[in-house]
Amino acid sequence: MRKLLLAAAIASSAALAAPVSAAEITVCTWGTITGPDALVNGMTYGTRAYLEYLNQSKGGIAGNKIKVLLLDGRYKLDEELKIYRRCADQEQAVVINGWSTGASKALRDQIQQDGVPFISESFASEVLDPVKYPFTFIAGPTYEQQMIIALRDLAAKGGKKVVLMYSDNEYGRGPVNVVKQSGIIEKLGLEVVDLVEYRFDAQDMTAQLLRVKAKNPDLVYVQGSTPQLLVVLRDAAKVGLPASLFVGNFYNISPAIPQQLGAAADGFRAVQTYAFFGDPIAAMQEITAYGKTNEVEKKDIYFLKGWLKGKVIAESIAKAIQKSGGQVPGDIQAFRKLVRDEMEGLKDFDTGGITPPFTYADHQGSVQARIAEIKGGEYVPVGNWIDAR
Amino acid sequence: MTKRSLLIGTALAIAFASIGYGSSRFWAYLVYAVAISSIGAMSLNLLIGFCGQITFAQGALIGVGAYAAANLGNAGWGGLVALLGAGMFGALTSALIGLPAMRLRGLYFAISTLAAQFILSYFFKLLEPLTNGVSGLVVKPLVLFGRTVKGDQEYAVICVVVLYLSWIFLSRLTRTNVGRAFLVIRESELVARGMGIDVARTKMQAFLISGFFAGLCGGLLAFTSRLASPEAFEISLSVDQTAMIIVGGLGSLAGSVVGAVFVALLPEAIQRFGELLPSAALVSAFREMAFGILIILFLLLEPRGLVALGQRLWRRQRNETTEKAAELPSNATNENHGNSAIPALEGRKA
Repeated sequence: MRKLLLAAAIASSAALAAPVSAAEITVCTWGTITGPDALVNGMTYGTRAYLEYLNQSKGGIAGNKIKVLLLDGRYKLDEELKIYRRCADQEQAVVINGWSTGASKALRDQIQQDGVPFISESFASEVLDPVKYPFTFIAGPTYEQQMIIALRDLAAKGGKKVVLMYSDNEYGRGPVNVVKQSGIIEKLGLEVVDLVEYRFDAQDMTAQLLRVKAKNPDLVYVQGSTPQLLVVLRDAAKVGLPASLFVGNFYNISPAIPQQLGAAADGFRAVQTYAFFGDPIAAMQEITAYGKTNEVEKKDIYFLKGWLKGKVIAESIAKAIQKSGGQVPGDIQAFRKLVRDEMEGLKDFDTGGITPPFTYADHQGSVQARIAEIKGGEYVPVGNWIDAR
Repeated sequence: MTKRSLLIGTALAIAFASIGYGSSRFWAYLVYAVAISSIGAMSLNLLIGFCGQITFAQGALIGVGAYAAANLGNAGWGGLVALLGAGMFGALTSALIGLPAMRLRGLYFAISTLAAQFILSYFFKLLEPLTNGVSGLVVKPLVLFGRTVKGDQEYAVICVVVLYLSWIFLSRLTRTNVGRAFLVIRESELVARGMGIDVARTKMQAFLISGFFAGLCGGLLAFTSRLASPEAFEISLSVDQTAMIIVGGLGSLAGSVVGAVFVALLPEAIQRFGELLPSAALVSAFREMAFGILIILFLLLEPRGLVALGQRLWRRQRNETTEKAAELPSNATNENHGNSAIPALEGRKA
């Protein structure tokens, strides 16, 4: 018994004495490396890649090496909550890049309490409020704004009847409810002729698509992820609905759709919020340079979003260091606050062509998007950048 | 409960509460995550390991507790009322789920609990006024005795205290006539009836008690994660909880805690070890695989779990030490005063 108590006391004191280094520039990023939405995890790899690129090409930020921690949240709330604590507390990260809407919501008060700049991969409007949540940022138009862009495009082309299809989870239902209640659909002169909810893991949607066909809509907006879109477009072709009738959000710009559906995917449109991988932009030159000595894990639009976040994080940290006389502040809290302020203060920041110039006062950066269409197995932009505000 | 196990349990509770309170938030998080999982695993073990009623609805029951605590807490009730309320709702729901057990047995009953899991998951999404649907219900911080609980460290202490009290209660319960009746039912309902045990009533008691602790576990989960979301209480949670009692030891409360520690901490240990490897994807895949392989190994090599394995090793160690001591000549025995086995041997001889 004495031994047991002694062991417990040693364990307690060891935990109490855990060392913390405040001067190290640690950036923590987590995503779904393994899990249901791993298809889009280029967003996580891209951020790490840019910061590593800075380490290799410029010796870090203002001569300070960046320690980038990439962790797997597995799209599980408890895992993400654990990772957040590790990043904020144990690793003393100056910026954290998180993943899911659920975790961003669960942590939103904690993030403000900790005073750590947090960029969420979620586009949910519920986590976005620069006044209430001054340390939380997202990087692009919300799901609602993306939907509105698609609806505006339809209204501009003289369309009238809309069907909204969405999965039976928060990602599906949430944005649809917000847009429906905002009254913007009516303001645009459009009419929602049907709302079709489906199980997020549905493997057959023939019945739902027959229902859609009976309504004869001008556009079907799908608030779903790529695996769901594959089922929707496959079964749409089965019931005789063309892919050109369907529009999805940013997460539906996936090579998997034309690759798996072939010609049946031609005409499908999605809201594009970042440049495509391989576009002739300055950021691609950096990625090419990085790729000469490193593996580029994902070659898709999501990797570019990650690269963009890396640029924003690095710029904010560089400005914060500059403001504190070229030195990394010793107090991590002060450093985080400085970085947050600089992040919010970014104005017309050049993202290397990934988005139009980036101003982060609204904690979204860019709220512009354009419609991209699958033509001959590839996504091609079919319009100009539209402001979602 | 023996005096020795009570002492060990108390010492461990004090040690873990101290670790939780005195360490960083990350460690505090791990302490309360393990404590909450342990409460859930003990409640499940009571039903499966002690009473032999296989259930797959544990995740949903924890969810019922979480939503009950969230609603009570958000409505301004104190933490104590909210947590007890979570337990009560858990108990009532568990009793409803247990009703088919009056007529069904074994696999048939297990399937009915699986149906209950899916029905409750559906209700979590559907009952928007109570659950806020798929968006999840944001939960206000726990208020205990008029004071708002702040920080992970305080939550760690509270969760360890609740775990300790739950363990004492359940430990005592298993040594009462009701607890013994659970064991008889597990072995044979026919024999139980023959012994004059009211099988239906005893089963219902098991469901009520188990449900209460599952609800309590859910209540703590809601307050610590600050979000009650349907996705958190799906079948995967039931699977995790079942894994805990299989790994730790069926029919053992200590096994439930050991299993919870193992299931909660092993992925983290593998993660830290794997971070030495260059690929994040590789680390994650390794973590998932290692976890699965270990569970299969346990089922094959030690189906009674880690606790039984520990007991076996301890017994072997003790026997070896005893044999060595017995082999020693009498003059050598007199020289080795520091050998702890010798007084025991002498004591036995005496």
